[in-house]
Amino acid sequence: MTIAVRAIARLLLGPSVVVAVAIMVKGYSDVGDGFSAGVIVALAVSLQYVAYGPRRAEAELPLLRLAPFVAVAGLLLALAVGFFPLVSGKPIFTHWPAPGVHPTRIGTLEMLTAVVFDIGVFLLVVGVLVVLVHQLADDSSPTP
Amino acid sequence: MNLVFSLAAAVLFGAGAYLLLKRDLVRVVVGASLISQSAILTLLASALTRGRAPIHPLPDAPVSDPVVQSLALTALVIGLAVTALLLVVVDRVSHAYHTITQDDVAASEAAREEALERVGADAEALTE
Amino acid sequence: MTALALALVVPWAAGAVLVALDGRGRIVCWLCVGTLATEIGALVALAVQVLPGRAVHSVTGGWPADVGIVLRADSLGVAFALVSAVMLLAAVVQSIVEGVQERTFPGLVVLLATGLNGLFLTGDMFNFYVFFEIAMTAAYVLTTYGGGRRELGAALVFAAVNLLGSSVFLLAIAGVYRVTATLAMETIALRMADVEPNAAILIAVGFFIAFGVKLGLFPFHFWLPTVYTGARPAVAAILSGALANIGAYGLIRFGAGLLPNELALGATALILIGCASIVYGGVLAVSRRDPAETLAYSAIGQVGYVLVALGVGGPVGLAAAVLYALVNSLNKTMLFLAVGVRGPLISAVFALGALSVAGMPPAVGFLGKLALVHTGIVAGSPALVALLVAGSALSFVYMFQMYQREFWRTPPADHPSRWPLQLLPAMLAVLVLAAGLWPEPLLALSRDAAALLSRGGR
Repeated sequence: MTIAVRAIARLLLGPSVVVAVAIMVKGYSDVGDGFSAGVIVALAVSLQYVAYGPRRAEAELPLLRLAPFVAVAGLLLALAVGFFPLVSGKPIFTHWPAPGVHPTRIGTLEMLTAVVFDIGVFLLVVGVLVVLVHQLADDSSPTP
Repeated sequence: MNLVFSLAAAVLFGAGAYLLLKRDLVRVVVGASLISQSAILTLLASALTRGRAPIHPLPDAPVSDPVVQSLALTALVIGLAVTALLLVVVDRVSHAYHTITQDDVAASEAAREEALERVGADAEALTE
Repeated sequence: MTALALALVVPWAAGAVLVALDGRGRIVCWLCVGTLATEIGALVALAVQVLPGRAVHSVTGGWPADVGIVLRADSLGVAFALVSAVMLLAAVVQSIVEGVQERTFPGLVVLLATGLNGLFLTGDMFNFYVFFEIAMTAAYVLTTYGGGRRELGAALVFAAVNLLGSSVFLLAIAGVYRVTATLAMETIALRMADVEPNAAILIAVGFFIAFGVKLGLFPFHFWLPTVYTGARPAVAAILSGALANIGAYGLIRFGAGLLPNELALGATALILIGCASIVYGGVLAVSRRDPAETLAYSAIGQVGYVLVALGVGGPVGLAAAVLYALVNSLNKTMLFLAVGVRGPLISAVFALGALSVAGMPPAVGFLGKLALVHTGIVAGSPALVALLVAGSALSFVYMFQMYQREFWRTPPADHPSRWPLQLLPAMLAVLVLAAGLWPEPLLALSRDAAALLSRGGR
């Protein structure tokens, strides 16, 4: 791969995470959700694979090794947010704050359980897509 | 508007069906993916409304129906997962059979069936 | 409501965790069994709540029914969910006794259980599609269990064909949303009565194709023998005993529940297709040598009976369809799990399975056949009753041919398998016998489900 592709691949990784977080955080009231955020980060990671090859990409980003556990953690987070209202006797997927109630804010960031759910979906999508790219990039798959 | 969507869905379905009948397994996967895209396009076409996006605070103008878009998004995610799975299975098949065209896969299956028939016939002749 | 949500979240969360762990270890396997047992417990609690003609409703987020996703447990859904969960548990235990070969097998079965529970216990059409896809994706991966060439070929055929079926299902959902503008099944049932007949017929055909592909009915059966013979017997047991229930449930719920007028219109066609399935499956099963292949063609034949009962309709026909679908699931799981195992217990299991598929007492298959013949009599068609009896005779022929080939002609040097492998099919056989001798729960469930549908899904 040419030097331009490698440089861009390296540079795109950080901004992709920033864009993904922005999409997730405003997703409850504007265009955006956890899935598209996850795909953006997964695309940036796939670009690493394409530019540097699987071995070097995985050596330089040791976090990728944790991808299956990230996926499972994301799914469990999403399920926890969804099924937690059972504890207080409400139907599942009842978000807090209820519609019409003003949410608490930190600066311009609003705290909603829907955003936590989207974070869970984001982690799940990133984990699954990174595992997929790793699986397809692997040259030494076992022959049955 | 409905006509354009219907035509597009029909073209996608036709292209997908044509590809499904090809010999190369990767083209079969692409064909299946195209057919699922045509279904998603029909899903979007099932609630075509003109209006503003229904994002709070709601505008005074008529509001378009967002349910279909969420249905289409969900279907796209599912299509992604299944296409990815199919591609990995095709990858494994290519390693197992050392070929990626359907005819050769079918031929090796037929050879195996013949061998089974011969073994079965021998076993029956033995126990008769 | 708690039992309903527990039946969903326990296998979902457990499946997510189990997929990440190594399934070949004993702890993970027994965790999987524990999860399935907990889920069956939740379903039994739910069954106790819904049996006397009630239903448990819950809408996500407390929104009104047309805005939120409706979760609904009624006797039809709970019956299918319970039988499928028990069949999954049996297949998993048999695989554990054989020795699990792949890391993700227990986790995948639990995720399949999640998908099945979700789609049997939901009252929202698109939620049905989502759980349907969860179950199918887990099944696609399960079909590759074993990793050999045949398994991979079977998985490819299975995935491609069912992806097509899912796309047709999505087209039908798009059609329903276009004409009724809602996704909640109860509201759809109400509004469907006013829909223009042409559109409704197209939608009904779409649903029929989608579920016919899933079940392996006659015109859409071509993938079934390849997949059932290529996959491992435990996986074939899962596919025929749990996954085929989706097709039967879908036909009953979407056909008799949502589109009763179109079902009545197409009754003759449905009965004809069902009869073609019975004859095709039976005749081809007689000519097969491999037990897995015989069982695959038998599966094609058996689902024809469900379609015939559905075509006749009415409370008798619907009850017969539900009962036969459940009985068939039990039979097929027991028989597929007994394929490849040898020993005196297994020959008894096979004999009982043969009796059950052919419809002889005291096996539970007798109940199913009895209900079907009753349906034929109610329909007032002697030809139909004659065909049903002929189908049973064909089943008898191929099942005993298979028994003869496997257990009478085998040379005595073939030693019996170790007893834990024989134990589980024997337990399923005891269940078949018990259900045949004490049929009240099954009959009550199926009659309740039929009454529910005739009442209009309330």
